[in-house]
Amino acid sequence: MITAIKNIIDYRELIAVLAWKNITVRYKQAYLGIGWAVLKPLTLMLVFTLVRSFVGIPSGNVPYPVLAFAALMPWIFFQESASEGVLSVVGNAALIRKIYFPREIFPITAMTTKLVELCINALILALLMWWFGMLPNGQVFWAPVIIIYTMLASLTIALAGAAINVYYRDVGAGLPTMLSLLMYASPVIYPLEMVKNKLLVQRAAGQWSDVLYTLYTLNPLAGIIESFQNVVLRGLPPDLTALMPGMILVAIALPLSYLFFKHAELYFADVI
Amino acid sequence: MAIIEVSHVTKEFRLGELHSAKQSVFDAMARLRGRSARQRAPFKALDDVDFKVESGEVLGVIGHNGAGKSTLLKMLAGISKPTRGSIAVRGTIAPLIEVGAGLVDDLSGRENIYLNASILGLKRAAIARKFDEIVAFAELEEFIDTPIKRYSSGMKVKLGFAVATSIESEILIVDEVLAVGDLAFQRKCFDRMEDLIKRQGRTVLLVSHNIRQVERLCTRVLLLEHGKVINDGAPTDTCNLFYEISDKRIHETKLSAAAGSGRTATSGNAEVESVVMFDEHGNAVNEIGYLDDVEIRVGYRVLVNLPDPIFGIGIHTTDFLYLATSQSIGSLPTETLLPGHYVLSYKIRRFPFLPGVYSLRLGVALGGSFQPVLYSENALSFQVLGKDINRAVQTGYREGFVALDGDWELSAQDLDDATSGPGSRRDGVAYALDGSSSLSDKHDARR
Repeated sequence: MITAIKNIIDYRELIAVLAWKNITVRYKQAYLGIGWAVLKPLTLMLVFTLVRSFVGIPSGNVPYPVLAFAALMPWIFFQESASEGVLSVVGNAALIRKIYFPREIFPITAMTTKLVELCINALILALLMWWFGMLPNGQVFWAPVIIIYTMLASLTIALAGAAINVYYRDVGAGLPTMLSLLMYASPVIYPLEMVKNKLLVQRAAGQWSDVLYTLYTLNPLAGIIESFQNVVLRGLPPDLTALMPGMILVAIALPLSYLFFKHAELYFADVI
Repeated sequence: MAIIEVSHVTKEFRLGELHSAKQSVFDAMARLRGRSARQRAPFKALDDVDFKVESGEVLGVIGHNGAGKSTLLKMLAGISKPTRGSIAVRGTIAPLIEVGAGLVDDLSGRENIYLNASILGLKRAAIARKFDEIVAFAELEEFIDTPIKRYSSGMKVKLGFAVATSIESEILIVDEVLAVGDLAFQRKCFDRMEDLIKRQGRTVLLVSHNIRQVERLCTRVLLLEHGKVINDGAPTDTCNLFYEISDKRIHETKLSAAAGSGRTATSGNAEVESVVMFDEHGNAVNEIGYLDDVEIRVGYRVLVNLPDPIFGIGIHTTDFLYLATSQSIGSLPTETLLPGHYVLSYKIRRFPFLPGVYSLRLGVALGGSFQPVLYSENALSFQVLGKDINRAVQTGYREGFVALDGDWELSAQDLDDATSGPGSRRDGVAYALDGSSSLSDKHDARR
């Protein structure tokens, strides 16, 4: 794990250059350029707002569009860095067959690319908040920490997934579908408050309510989205009870995922 | 201490490893039940390869396609890992496995230099320092801000080579990169390589099919064959051995393909039944020594009366260059051949052609009218082995087919004016002029 961090520091210039390449190449001949990065969360936000006008989702004292956008930001960052991370190794097969550098550079680069898009989305969020007359308080300084945790969570999937994808391309094809299903199991369209209410207050599942809630929060995104909304929009501290189960899961799974990747890496050039 | 140590390295590939998930599950279940899953024998790309490279050495690696050269380089570069054995590399390594790996079409030349140099491990500051030098070497000053998808393929290769050779490392791994660009650029690349190798004293591993180049640049050469090191030593010896093996291989493919290729025509009145070559001891052979006595025996089956036939036997190269032809006119008694089986024998004293692979062509025609009865090229392929001749030095590889029996002498000529060296050369020129003027004299006289 220490070598992993050392590698990232040693190769930071390469990661930066590769991420810059990804962004330049993606938007080079597009008129809207990097504007495309904000299009996806914005349209989804509009769709959700439209749907909400039929079904009625409580949003507390925060305007729903802002709430939805603040949920979509970390969600899309997580989803795209994970799925592009999984594809990144196979996508760079030409380099893998010819030049050696630590292979985790590829998923990390994919994530860095998405981080740039996340920053652009943060500007949009700031604009939205200004529009609705909202101001963050000091808790907003938790946001970078939450994003770093999101990065670790997406790396957990990206590393193992990328390694398996070298052998079985099914992962690269199947994972985006799986992840888009995970969106419904995360508080993106609806706030975590609703789930809490149903399970912990109304005890909708009887004696199983606590277990179900823990199971729900085992998804790191539950804690991430709720806490991100807390620190940016509500001016509240991160929700530790919602974060804890997911954090434990990532703390166990990330080292395993990394070790698996490093083990599989030895044969990438032979198999890819 | 050796800068590169390769000890007992074996690399196996399991052929057909990428089977379906279904098959993997079946195999896993079979293994769980204690039965061994069906497995294919692994293919050994490298087999117990063992050598060391000292600092400053220039090691050439030669061998046929599939001998394991690239696999070896990939393992030295850390791209792939050995199945057994270990590799120790003490020093920074720059692999030029393929120039231009990682060039991106949509980016400009400038952006690609930064990208490609970063991939090869150069720091940003170092790239900025070397940028102008790279551009100048690639001869791309005008086009440096053009996306490289508008470049010609030659320009891309130049760019790749210029970036790759700007990397500063103690060990340089070069795989077939010198054969790029037009002749002028190839020359430039070669000079750059020579500069890196000879003057900067770097340790270099060079893989190439250009044997002459390997011989010239390297201080030591490894010959790989089927994943094994079959020779490790002085460039000339190793390269000669490689030529020998190459010839044998050409010969073998020739043998298997002999029946098919080459022109064959027959009137139906006679046919070739057998073609055999014998050495001086009377053994049937496919390989003969240089300057050996040989005998060719051709079995014919004659179907109708052939009045006064003439036989011909010729020798040609594998690419059908006719080197020699002998005809039986005046050497065999003239008579009419009755239907039946005949054996024609032709003995050649001191077979004159240099080591290589050759083929026989046969012909039969009727005397008087020269009406062809039978003609066949590539009737028998055979190899001439060089005993002790050092081809690369004495004649150069494939620079001829026969050796001249001559003596060399060089002596300074005494001149009236005391200037010695340059004067004698001028003298030679004067002599040549004399020769041509005497020719024109004759011409005038005839008129």
